[in-house]
Amino acid sequence: MTAALGRRAVASAFARSFLIQGSWNRRTMLGAGFAFAMLPALRVLSRGDAAALEASLRRHLEHFNAHPYLANLAIGAALRLESDHEDPEAVRRFKTAVRGPLGGLGDALVWAAWLPAVSLAALSLFWLGVPGPVAVVVFLLVYNAGHLGLRVWGFRTGLANGRHVARSLGAAALTRWTERVRSVAALFLGLLCGALLLGEGGLSDAGLPWAGLATAAFAGGVLVGNRLWRPAAVATVAAIALLATWGLAS
Amino acid sequence: MELVLVSLLGGALALDGTSVGQFMVSRPLVAGSVTGWLLGNPALGILVGAILELYVLVSFPSGGARYPEGATATVVAVASASAVDAPGALPLGVAAGLVWGQVGGLSVSALRRLNGRIVPEPDAPHPGRVALSHPLAVATDGVRGTVVTLAGVLFGRWGVGWLAGSWPLEARDTRGLLLVGGAVSAGVLLRTFGSVRRHRILFAAGLALGLLGARLL
Repeated sequence: MTAALGRRAVASAFARSFLIQGSWNRRTMLGAGFAFAMLPALRVLSRGDAAALEASLRRHLEHFNAHPYLANLAIGAALRLESDHEDPEAVRRFKTAVRGPLGGLGDALVWAAWLPAVSLAALSLFWLGVPGPVAVVVFLLVYNAGHLGLRVWGFRTGLANGRHVARSLGAAALTRWTERVRSVAALFLGLLCGALLLGEGGLSDAGLPWAGLATAAFAGGVLVGNRLWRPAAVATVAAIALLATWGLAS
Repeated sequence: MELVLVSLLGGALALDGTSVGQFMVSRPLVAGSVTGWLLGNPALGILVGAILELYVLVSFPSGGARYPEGATATVVAVASASAVDAPGALPLGVAAGLVWGQVGGLSVSALRRLNGRIVPEPDAPHPGRVALSHPLAVATDGVRGTVVTLAGVLFGRWGVGWLAGSWPLEARDTRGLLLVGGAVSAGVLLRTFGSVRRHRILFAAGLALGLLGARLL
């Protein structure tokens, strides 16, 4: 199957998948990025037939959305379907069927679990007194080990299984992984709170009133949730602006 | 020259936010340390980055969402805070970053509307246009990030230069004020992990470890 496409076209599709969100728009979302990633392989498969190339591009330019890392699963599977000369309507149906799960699973696993977990670990290291550059390097290495692993796994799984990727997706048990990573993230969140409370340059240095206020702010965040984030940021900026103006006036 | 370099850095880091790779070099912790290193003040850069990272812990770069742009915000914050050596430079730099994060988010929304005009219609799938329009959209994002950073650094440095000298709080109170705002994000994050009841034991274990670690290290 890879032989029909050639290694170069497959490698090019993988490399271009890193740009899949480059032309994100409300009309087709990742559609143009998906077509851009598929283009070298579609050129190979159309063998100079301009009409065939345009027809295949049309179905990949259409609306598509997924998590950018897990979109590789769809790109790999679409390459397989195109190289197997599947019915165009089947390719369309496949893409429509996978976009929801790939978006939901990816957002939950990566944005709402893996990224916060690794960020919290790096922040904990920093506030515990580990040199800043070490915390940054740990963050980048650990985060991208998971990131690149997910991209490579998705692309290879899609390419190997074509329209049957749903089975591999189920076997990978991403939902279970999400729960595990969230549990680890909760542990790291506790670690960070402890480091902020007693660490050097943290709230204990600032004094008990600040530690009490921070604890109340944390509790507010837990109770109210995301709706409190923007007002808290606005309040912080307003407090800084008021204090600075007051200092200037006095 | 420094302004040009910082603006280009903002543009490059902003690309990582959505358009290119998402390796998370655009996160404040990384962007802050890189900007600090570029400006010759790595300690300040990473401190500003760590504070802003606390604020954007709950800001996920999911494609369709409008969120504060961490990369340009952090470059603006560090470049503003390093402009003067005064007690108010840190909080005012962070405030400039928080404001500019929203401006960056608005500019990303505008870019997405523009992208809708740049990309070809599925009904007119010309291969040459597909090959050109996508890199053009990526390049436009880089230019957007550069311009947003440049404007933010000019705004931030003006504000910090004007107000930093008369900052009334001591350094420890300033740190307390900044961490209280970040504590809200930490609380929100615990809630986003799902049932707080389910994670309470792990959170408590982490808290104990953190308190112990802070005492010992």
